[in-house]
Amino acid sequence: MAYLNGKKGISGKSNMFWKSFLFSAIVAVFVSMLCLGNFASAGDRLEGKDLYNKYCAPCHGEEGDGYGPLYGALYPKPRDFTKGQYKIRTNATGSLPTDADLIHVISVGVHGTSMMPWDILDIDQIKSLLPVLKSFSEAWQFRKPEASVVVGNELRATQKTIARGRELYQQKECFKCHGETGNGDGPSSYDLEDEWEIPILPYDFTRGDKFKGGATNKDIYMRFTTGMNGTPMPSFANELSDEDRWCMVHFVKSLGEKKTTKEHAE
Amino acid sequence: MNYAKKLMLFLTMALLVIAIQFSGSVRAHEEKAAEKEPYVAKTMDIYEGFPDWYSPVFKDNVGLSEGAGLFKDYYKPLKMQMYMSPMRHYVQMDILDHSLFIEKGRRDLCIRCHDGINTGAVDDWKGSAHFNPRKTDLIARKTKIIEESIGREIINVDCFDCHADTVKNEIRMPNAEVCSECHERQVRQFNSEKNHGRPNHIQAMEANVLVPWYAEADRRGWGAGQGGCDMCHGISTKCDPCHTRHSFSAAEARQPKACMTCHMGPDHPDSESYGESKHGIILEMEGEEYNFDKPLAHVQVGEDYRTPTCQFCHMYQGGGRFTHNFVSKGIWRMGTVPPSNIEYESSLKDYPYGINIIAPKIDLYSDENLDKRDKWIEVCSNCHSPRFATTWLEQLDQYMFQAFKITDSAQLIIDKLIADDILYPSVGERDIYPLGDKIAELLPASLIGDGVYNAFKQLGGKVPVVGPILGVYAMFYQGENNPSLIETEYAKMWFWYKLQGYKGYAHAQQDVMWWWGQAPMLMQLGKIQSENMRLRREHALEQGLEPGLGGAQPVSHSKSEGHKSAPTKSGIPVGNVWEVDELDY
Repeated sequence: MAYLNGKKGISGKSNMFWKSFLFSAIVAVFVSMLCLGNFASAGDRLEGKDLYNKYCAPCHGEEGDGYGPLYGALYPKPRDFTKGQYKIRTNATGSLPTDADLIHVISVGVHGTSMMPWDILDIDQIKSLLPVLKSFSEAWQFRKPEASVVVGNELRATQKTIARGRELYQQKECFKCHGETGNGDGPSSYDLEDEWEIPILPYDFTRGDKFKGGATNKDIYMRFTTGMNGTPMPSFANELSDEDRWCMVHFVKSLGEKKTTKEHAE
Repeated sequence: MNYAKKLMLFLTMALLVIAIQFSGSVRAHEEKAAEKEPYVAKTMDIYEGFPDWYSPVFKDNVGLSEGAGLFKDYYKPLKMQMYMSPMRHYVQMDILDHSLFIEKGRRDLCIRCHDGINTGAVDDWKGSAHFNPRKTDLIARKTKIIEESIGREIINVDCFDCHADTVKNEIRMPNAEVCSECHERQVRQFNSEKNHGRPNHIQAMEANVLVPWYAEADRRGWGAGQGGCDMCHGISTKCDPCHTRHSFSAAEARQPKACMTCHMGPDHPDSESYGESKHGIILEMEGEEYNFDKPLAHVQVGEDYRTPTCQFCHMYQGGGRFTHNFVSKGIWRMGTVPPSNIEYESSLKDYPYGINIIAPKIDLYSDENLDKRDKWIEVCSNCHSPRFATTWLEQLDQYMFQAFKITDSAQLIIDKLIADDILYPSVGERDIYPLGDKIAELLPASLIGDGVYNAFKQLGGKVPVVGPILGVYAMFYQGENNPSLIETEYAKMWFWYKLQGYKGYAHAQQDVMWWWGQAPMLMQLGKIQSENMRLRREHALEQGLEPGLGGAQPVSHSKSEGHKSAPTKSGIPVGNVWEVDELDY
């Protein structure tokens, strides 16, 4: 303090001192981090196309067409990025996904598929993949992703909302694909294909928490609201009210619980 | 402020920051060390106690660049061998580098991806004791023993524990050594099979790759057909042929069906003979009442098993003990090695011709074999009277003696044909003995004996060989005119029908004893005799057709090809050439 007092307040000199102090500190931290960092993580830290080629291309293909060398071993099949169609989004049906959507799916994976959570990569690495994904389809040049849907207040799961959901399940003919009991074995289930004529199966709600896009109520609400592009699963954003979509969420979730209760009863 | 001051300040700051960061990391290390010693996996050497040359030719991983065994440079392994003999031949997949997952220790991720690819494997694992090491009270007790022996708590055993090589940061295909981290006792027992000689499981790969026909077939472009050999003989370094992936169940491996994929077929119809015996049939009829969950040592005969299983008899070590050594009671072994207790007229009397890498003749009444017999009677007496058991074993011995006498008669016929240079096509007119041009080069006299070594060295592989075990290649084609018909018929006799009859007796299946055993053996003897007559008649005719009267030159096919004819000893014709070790070459 005495030192500072001698300089009569914030003189140019003392300012210089603080600047250089700060500068040295930053450089020191940076340099030492760099040195220590090398001990901590071995291996290359890849980004962008190199990263894509090493870890994504084995399934999705170097051209992004979903025909990587492991294609044959996988079901469901890896996403074909050249079509610009993404299932798991938070915005209106038909839209391209937001960056946040892509980052989310890469980070948490897609349940029930071989797409594991790539949280093993750091966020900058994941972000560096987005331009690569976008480069595979022209759609990104002509369209912009729409804004995410704003999720309102969640309706609570009650006997009443579940009952309303059941009613809608019949009314909207969900059972045609997903089956009367939600086992994914409705009459149309046997012939379902996605837009690329790859056979797909409707979700079996009795599997409980294996929803592709996540198993929280909000995740499921999103699927009803945004649909799943490229598949026969439509969006109900226009057909059903916000409340009704929440009712559907609670009903399909109850199908998973039912199985567990039944097992206990036996 | 001058630069010197700036620099000083910078260095001070840098040191300070580094010091803080280091002290942090050191403290963290100390805390960890105080908590617990880091766990280091210890595995055993599966070839512990084997000769020094064994590891470099059977174990050291070479991928697919070369084979295994002493002929490793003369054949390339089939690609599938990386799974059948992973210890030596496994190669990493090149499509997706898995090192990142191992480096980061992300054992949770394996399932997320592989559940969508190898659902069956994942599901097997989820039902296994590896997934739930406290699945039953028994398994929980076993887990506790393992935990104490390795000094680590086991929550579960997942993909990472067996498939991740954390030292090399790469995926590995597990083998018995990997299993020995937790199951050392069992792997040690498996290793102990070597103490009883071949055939056994741990040396099973030798039967493929220490024999020259395997490499010879590859040299001739027929390697792919030997995938069937690898599937069974790969058991030498693996546990999963019996405890199948990925449930690795002991209860499964206690059932006879666990053995049957390999122990079947014309040379060792164990499955057929046991399966159709009263022992096997009762198991078939009442299998649901057998308790395979119980360890063998705790099986109450009668209550848990009404009839014995393969495992119950063959894993029994006497005194109520059972181990993973299946061969310690083997007297007749596979049934191929001649006994020393009968007289031979053919070249079988000199078996094994000075060769050290095949078993010598069996002395049925050696102290060791009498001990084994006591143990057999002990195991049979769980249900039968000791007199019944003893009589049964004696009957088996009598069959084998008789079968070897019949074999001897057939071998004598062929020995004489060779000695008289009547075997047709002669050794000189056919392709060499499998890999015969390399044998003297690769196998030193210390391994194969001077006689055999010299014969191969001097005759360049044009060596006549028939009979057990060296002549088994006569069961399949090995080159132009090699073998000839009579040799094939003979090989079928001693390698198929003799062994079938043996298994019929050993496993108490009456039809296999006779109709698959002695009856076709005698049928073969008849064929060999008439083939002998035909060859000799044709030879005589050929000589008679030679120009000139009374002065017919003997026709030697061998000599016509510049082949050195089979040697004779004081005018007595001899067959298998390596009884010549006493002769001057």
